[in-house]
Amino acid sequence: MTTIPPAPAATRQTLLDPGMDLTLRPMRYPHFFDRFKDAIKNTWTVEEVDLHNDLADLSKLSPAEQHLVSRLVAFFATGDTIVANNLVLNLYQHVNSPEGRLYLSRQLFEEAVHVQFYLNLLDTYVPDEQERFEAFAAVENIPSIARKAEFCFKWIDSIYELRTLRTREDRRAFLLNLICFAACIEGLFFYGAFAYVYFLRSRGLLHGLASGTNWVFRDESMHMAFAFDVVDTVRQEEPDLFDADLEHQVKQMLAEAVECEVQFAEDLLTQGVSGMSLTDMREYLQHVADRRLAVLGIDPMYGSRNPFAFMELQDVQELSNFFERRVSAYQVGVTGSVSFDDDF
Amino acid sequence: MTVIQGTTAVPEQRRHPRVRKRDGGLEPVDVTTIVQAVERWVADLGEVDPLRVATRTVSGLYDGATTAELDQLTIRTAAELIGEEPQYSKLAARLLAAYVDQEVRLQGVHSFSESIRNAHLQGLISDETAGLAARHACELDDAVDPDGDLRFEYFGLRTVADRYLLRHPQERVVLETPQYFLLRVACGLSTSPAEAIGFYRLMSSLAYLPSSPTLFNSGTRHTQMSSCFLVDSPRDELDSIYERYHQVAKLSKFSGGIGIAWSRVRGRGALIRGTNGRSNGIVPFLKTLDAGVAAVNQGGRRKGAACVYLEPWHPDIEEFLELRDNTGEDSRRTHNLNLANWIPDEFMRRVEADGDWSLIDPSDAPELPDLFGDAFDLAYRTAEKKAVKTVKARDLYGRMMRTLAQTGNGWMTFKDRSNALSNQTGAPGNTIHLSNLCTEILEVNSDDETAVCNLGSVNLAAHVTAGGVDWEKLRETVRTAVVFLDRVIDINYYPSEQAAKSNPRWRPVGLGLMGLQDAFFTLRLPFDSAGARELSTRVQEDIFLTALETSAGLAERFGAHPAYAETRAARGELHPDLWGVTPTQTQRWTDLRARVRTSGLRNSLLVAIAPTATIASIAGCYECIEPQVSNLFKRETMSGEFLQINTYLVRELKARGLWTAAIRERIKRAEGSVQQIAELPAEVRELFRTAWELPQRALIDLAAARAPYIDQSQSLNLFLSAPTIGKLSSMYLYAWKAGLKTSYYLRSRPATRIQQATVSVAPAALACSLENPDSCEACQ
Repeated sequence: MTTIPPAPAATRQTLLDPGMDLTLRPMRYPHFFDRFKDAIKNTWTVEEVDLHNDLADLSKLSPAEQHLVSRLVAFFATGDTIVANNLVLNLYQHVNSPEGRLYLSRQLFEEAVHVQFYLNLLDTYVPDEQERFEAFAAVENIPSIARKAEFCFKWIDSIYELRTLRTREDRRAFLLNLICFAACIEGLFFYGAFAYVYFLRSRGLLHGLASGTNWVFRDESMHMAFAFDVVDTVRQEEPDLFDADLEHQVKQMLAEAVECEVQFAEDLLTQGVSGMSLTDMREYLQHVADRRLAVLGIDPMYGSRNPFAFMELQDVQELSNFFERRVSAYQVGVTGSVSFDDDF
Repeated sequence: MTVIQGTTAVPEQRRHPRVRKRDGGLEPVDVTTIVQAVERWVADLGEVDPLRVATRTVSGLYDGATTAELDQLTIRTAAELIGEEPQYSKLAARLLAAYVDQEVRLQGVHSFSESIRNAHLQGLISDETAGLAARHACELDDAVDPDGDLRFEYFGLRTVADRYLLRHPQERVVLETPQYFLLRVACGLSTSPAEAIGFYRLMSSLAYLPSSPTLFNSGTRHTQMSSCFLVDSPRDELDSIYERYHQVAKLSKFSGGIGIAWSRVRGRGALIRGTNGRSNGIVPFLKTLDAGVAAVNQGGRRKGAACVYLEPWHPDIEEFLELRDNTGEDSRRTHNLNLANWIPDEFMRRVEADGDWSLIDPSDAPELPDLFGDAFDLAYRTAEKKAVKTVKARDLYGRMMRTLAQTGNGWMTFKDRSNALSNQTGAPGNTIHLSNLCTEILEVNSDDETAVCNLGSVNLAAHVTAGGVDWEKLRETVRTAVVFLDRVIDINYYPSEQAAKSNPRWRPVGLGLMGLQDAFFTLRLPFDSAGARELSTRVQEDIFLTALETSAGLAERFGAHPAYAETRAARGELHPDLWGVTPTQTQRWTDLRARVRTSGLRNSLLVAIAPTATIASIAGCYECIEPQVSNLFKRETMSGEFLQINTYLVRELKARGLWTAAIRERIKRAEGSVQQIAELPAEVRELFRTAWELPQRALIDLAAARAPYIDQSQSLNLFLSAPTIGKLSSMYLYAWKAGLKTSYYLRSRPATRIQQATVSVAPAALACSLENPDSCEACQ
């Protein structure tokens, strides 16, 4: 086997340079590889989620809450598939780093698990076959979901024709797509859904949905963090791509995403849900959008505060009584060998 | 559910929502009315702002909400503020108590005796309890403490309200207030009103609580009040295996937690003579057990739960250790069963010596499960000639560690120590075959006797002030507790004949302890300090001694338990003697021994440290003997999620003027750790370390030091944020050498976590400026 020496620094390519880099040693982006390893430790499977008690809870919900849940699961039915498609069609080919692609491969697997989870969820929640078909066709049937889907498709299409990122404009288009999926779709659409599920969870309802979704969001948090990591890396390598123009476009995109999500909230909350008003939801979404801007180093657009105290519950360690819940805090992929003098 | 519904026009949300009253009429919500409702409860809660609760409630309300929704939202809104100010917990609890009270009153129930009469009519209360309440209505009604509910924190009362109060069989409205509930529990175990009132006052003060099955069922028509059942392994035959499924289902239905051994059943590949086929091993049978356990719902209050014990010489041990993995063939996974290793010392010795370990089929050595100590070692070595397979002991031990790290399951429990140091193994032929669901119960059983234990726990927090332990109060609590634990044995309904056979013979009870961490905080003792170890040991000695004295007193009145002659106590050996320690309260022990020699003991076993997950929540204290897991965390139960904050820490921070939004955010960001709060002196940070920040060696040392005064065992959890095989193998070898009989969960933390949603976004450049926190952007 011959070893190819690393390219001299001057000719070393940047992350978005076209190509199919295969060299893992020396590793150019070890932080991507670390994210890949961390993700593997959090492997979960759909079979671990027990949806059994959810059915009893569903019948206890008020009609308004049932409507909320039905819209929510209809969104979940296709949301992750859209993200997976963009990953394959647009992201994978342009992130020219084998360790980065390892992470994206892992992300793709996770998206597939999420799709399977929500498939299982809908099969369980919606026993009537015809209704189930309609739920999976939500992107066509339900206007509030269709509008969100259109937003996603528009951004998928925006760079679909791009085979290589040669020009500055190409790269900015790529960045906008990446930021869109991280900040707007995973970071806002999913985070909006996050709030509804956690609202129900804080009241002890739909444990199956909540625990599965909890694991989904643990993954989504990592996806988003990886995407922002890519953005930061590109920013370091090619700072001139980031200017006021790009900032303006990001803001515009987020504002549009917020409006999409607010009209979805109007649909979900239309019949009145105690403890979750539309006013509060709008403020929450604006607050989340500001947080996404902050990560990108952009000033807030809204200056809104988080009105949902139950979201604070998601930020602290959980301690489940094992009589009641399956504990979800364990790690896969433990290393080391038997020894008797390690510190503990 | 229906997914597709017609889209309705979105009504504009009204700025001033209206509520729908019980008569159907709409009326505008008035902030002032909510403020007034809140103000009733805040006289002693100086930090609570009623207007804040009211405005936030209105903001979350929709137009046309019902009054019940408004009340519930007010309660939840108050509870949401606990993270800022712990007094809101008391407020939310009081609002909830008022809500429950109203629900009970609306059914025309205005007193304890009326609530019993009403519930008896609904077929929920036993005739005996109904009779007692009717005969002594006035006396009992007067005993209800009108301020009793003021002692509850929100999480505790919510737990009581959602799961412990009796409900109407059809309408599901509550039929009793929290205080009526405790008095009902007391009446169910009492023969006179005076006795009932005494026990009620103790429970109402939250200084002692019996375990959940007793709280659920005392005074009702289904008086199954025991927590734990220890079922011996099925015999190596199909009928026996299916009998065990049936027994487990019956025990589980009435709120019991099950431990069941499986070491007698032959492994994969062993010959089945009847059909001349080969066995599929234990995994398919455990899969069936798994499904059976999941199907049993304990009255809608919690799911059934069981733990399977296997000895490590069993040929299927490796497959057993994979049962909880979340990957692999699902037909070989049991997601609902807990797993425990029942380990003979010989295994640990070979691990240490890096020796081989033989896997032996029980059909070739059927005597192994019934032997311990030298007899086991001899039989095992003889049986090794027939080994199915030989592995390196360390490889198998490493596999056990991996299971612990990946699933928290596969608890390490030690067979020889458990048997050698038990009062019940005084006569040959009596063997402890396993521990229970929570690894604190160690009792002998057999094919036709299922061991039973009923539990209760002293809340140490209620017996400690900054001046120290109130020893006399503690003794009084223990005396009452033991009498009522013993009482359960006679009143209890036994769901299986094997259980009914064992319990009257041995009369074991398990008096536990909770709130040890509260005591350490109150007395400012770091968990790993010598002072903490001394206090914990002395408290345990006193509890055990007082429990023995009380049991001796019961024996003097009612006689020793029937199997007394088979115990070590009958030969003059009490539990500290088995450990070879010298207790400190010499005179009391001497007096006790004299009484035991004369009259024996009423109970073969008295003390076991149970996990107390739910009753500690009700009492508002830390669980059993555990360190705090975090200064800020949430509990997740069937009732929802509850933010828990360390009130001792909040008091400390307030006293130092440090209870600010900025500090709160830093604690949240650090996942409940205060080690980065440099404004706090080192000794304060040391005091408020979390379980993750303590050396686990200290937890084991504390457990070993108190163990001579625990005649059963302790549910000892261990905590490692990032476990490795090396750390785990060192830790469990140390635990074995320290002489622990059992250990419980290995707690670890997820490798990655959900991005925090409510702490500010902090790019690396914006680290906290500790010198000038007011101008630190990261914390604004």
